Amino acid sequence: MSTGTAAHASKALQDEFNPFLSMAKGFDTAADHLKLDGGIRDVLRMPNRELTVNLPVLMDDGRVKVFTGYRVQHNTLRGPAKGGIRFAPEVNLDEVRALSAWMTWKCSVVNVPFGGGKGGVICDPREMSKNELERLTRRYTVAIMDILGPDRDVPAPDMNTNEQTMAWIMDTYSMHMRRTTTAVVTGKPLNIGGSKGRKEATGRGVMITANEALKMAGLRPEDTRVVVQGAGNVGGLGALLMHREGYRVVSLSDMYGFIHNPQGLDVPAVLAHLGSTKRLEGYREADYQATTPGKVPQLELDCELLVPAATENQITSLNADRIKARVIVEGANGPTTGVASDILDGRGIIVVPDILANAGGVTVSYFEWVQDRMGYFWTEEIVNSRLEQIMVQSFGAVRATAEQYGVSLRTGAYILAIDRVASVYKMRGLSA
Amino acid sequence: MQPTTRDSTGSLPSVPTLDDASPFKTMMASFDEAARLLGLDQQEYLVLRKPDREISVSVPLRMDDGTFRVFDGYRVQHNMGLGPFLGPVRLAADLRLEELRALAAWMTWKCAVLGVPFGGAAGGISVDRSALSKAELERVVRRWTASMVGDIAGDRDVLAPEFASDEDIMAWALDTVSEHERSTANPAVTGKPEALGGSAGYLDAVAQGLRIILRLAAARHGLDPSRLDVLIQGSGTVGGNLARILHAEGHRVVGLSDVNTSLYSPDGLDVPQLLAHRATHGHLPAQFPGVELIDPARFLEQPCQVLAPCAVSNALNRKNAERIQASLIIEGAHGPTTPSADAIFARRGIPVVPDILANGGNVVVSYFEWVQNRTGFKWLGEVVDARLRRMMREAWDGVRAVQEKHQCSLRMAAHILAVKRVAEADQARGIYA
Repeated sequence: MSTGTAAHASKALQDEFNPFLSMAKGFDTAADHLKLDGGIRDVLRMPNRELTVNLPVLMDDGRVKVFTGYRVQHNTLRGPAKGGIRFAPEVNLDEVRALSAWMTWKCSVVNVPFGGGKGGVICDPREMSKNELERLTRRYTVAIMDILGPDRDVPAPDMNTNEQTMAWIMDTYSMHMRRTTTAVVTGKPLNIGGSKGRKEATGRGVMITANEALKMAGLRPEDTRVVVQGAGNVGGLGALLMHREGYRVVSLSDMYGFIHNPQGLDVPAVLAHLGSTKRLEGYREADYQATTPGKVPQLELDCELLVPAATENQITSLNADRIKARVIVEGANGPTTGVASDILDGRGIIVVPDILANAGGVTVSYFEWVQDRMGYFWTEEIVNSRLEQIMVQSFGAVRATAEQYGVSLRTGAYILAIDRVASVYKMRGLSA
Repeated sequence: MQPTTRDSTGSLPSVPTLDDASPFKTMMASFDEAARLLGLDQQEYLVLRKPDREISVSVPLRMDDGTFRVFDGYRVQHNMGLGPFLGPVRLAADLRLEELRALAAWMTWKCAVLGVPFGGAAGGISVDRSALSKAELERVVRRWTASMVGDIAGDRDVLAPEFASDEDIMAWALDTVSEHERSTANPAVTGKPEALGGSAGYLDAVAQGLRIILRLAAARHGLDPSRLDVLIQGSGTVGGNLARILHAEGHRVVGLSDVNTSLYSPDGLDVPQLLAHRATHGHLPAQFPGVELIDPARFLEQPCQVLAPCAVSNALNRKNAERIQASLIIEGAHGPTTPSADAIFARRGIPVVPDILANGGNVVVSYFEWVQNRTGFKWLGEVVDARLRRMMREAWDGVRAVQEKHQCSLRMAAHILAVKRVAEADQARGIYA
């Protein structure tokens, strides 16, 4: 994993920056609260199934190259495995395992009927042609086909995979099975079984959970200055939706730097500027500050709401003391380290954890799967209203759990998620 | 594609009949033009022009008198980019594979325009159904279906009726597939009786769809969509139901015809009475108080705001197009307007809402039936109506958007939209292996 701010990190910092250790810590804390016995704890900690495949792919230059890929199904007690497929050089089995567990908890928090899965192929997509990527995707699909299916394991896009990749998977699976099977994968293009509202689903979920968190903090959107780290599908669209809700978005960032205007940004104009120039830099109605390696001063700006929606390990033991926000909504996966999380809790800052805040994406993936199974497609209004219903309900359940156990929202979310999986485990029992 | 010619039967098939002027060939040629306007890569378009699969089978039939006859059976599956195949089963003595190829392709485009997640197919048996007893018809349908088992399935290839009234045939097909598969295969066959999973609203689906599109088109072209004078050719499943629906909504049906009789009254016909007569006697009355009997050759040329040809191909042609008085034409039949008439209407500024968009209500309700069968949950009639309205309106909006962009006729816009949607799905999926 990239640990950009930790170029010379000590062992303690390295551990702090391992997001999977953070997650394991969240899990253990929650399991302690639930007084889970050792057996169940082990079942829930280990993946059900791990598949490693080696994929010969004909490259454009005529050589055959063998790629290694994985698909891990962490848990399928609550339903078919669900989780993304990533293509990246740093993919490794440990990471895929951890991410698959993460998906189990995320699906459980929002109560969609899936378990957790994750897949990945070790490759560098930047070095590959579209044809090579297509051949790799199809070969990978065939290799893991035995464990795929709408009722078994339903992949989705992740790092360096997109709706084109999903279309290839759907086509390969359908051709092999000799039947149209759109529900085998989500995140597809609209015309072959994709869902309306999917693109901005995560951003919309961030906006909805922010609304709920503000109520906890006694803030109104119009009195809330928002700093958003990121400007993409999550940060950018989340900022746009919050802007429409009346929030005062004062800062947005991209990988090159951030813009800031304490009076509030005209978010549609900012996104239009970003769309045409590919950078935030140069937007006139705000100050710009370029990124300095190892520092994230944007996160320390004056604001009521901070939305880290870029990458992991942004709020750490190095800066958690200086965060000024009263509410943090984690749009990214693992933006807050475990140590930082304790610091924020100690300071009374409300943190809506990633497994709740950014679960809008998997929720609309679930909607896509439902629509594909019946073959009938919902209007965008229906998708959005059902998403809102699920996010609001989930937030309420997490908040109630946190209050019941006297813990943070993060621990509350893990308690809720684990308890749901564990209770299904008790009901279903051990097969055979 | 070289469609063969076929005589018009006078009744309305659910897919186009090929006739002497070969409107079908013209239609396919205009898809080529649509692909060109879209700037579609020629090689990609070649993929779309050929069917994915063609299945030919022999269909032996034991006649009631104990003798045997053997018919040809076919299923052509054109393109599955957008989803499973969907298409009719046609029973006709002069059935030809070439014709089914064209129909299958046409179903692909039609599904694409309407936004239903299917590709196109067409199948049939080379048998004269009118010469068969009901028992013989059942045996021949079952044998054909048994030959296609494995291909006919809810997520592979879905059957639709040729005529809305063919529910017996669909029931036999469903039963045969289900028995072979040893599971209830409801989504594999549409147009079934309601007792077997058929959808509410199937029988008059084409007419309901026409009515929805008619309102949108009338509003767009400056007519009052709540009070129209409509002249309808045909009084069967399509024309008759359309007349009934429009009359009940307060429009004036000024003309109505069947094969032998053409009735006209500028003050509006008493549609319920006329249809009741037709239901009892099998034809429209030759005379009726206050109604003018019109020479059938001049019927379509009578004054009206909207002309709805709902009977035969080539009803509007070079001979009568100059004399048509309607300010809007909506095609309930398949291919009722010849290319030369189309050109005349274009010059005269009379908009023509094309069949592929206007008369697809039955395809949409076939789709709804398939959805209901997949979920096992039956929709109320009101739900079917509301969803049909939404899908037809979205199809209309889609065609209109293309028309604005390309500044072309509604017909060409519908063709462009269809080719675009299928090509996009094919491109996203890529070429397998």
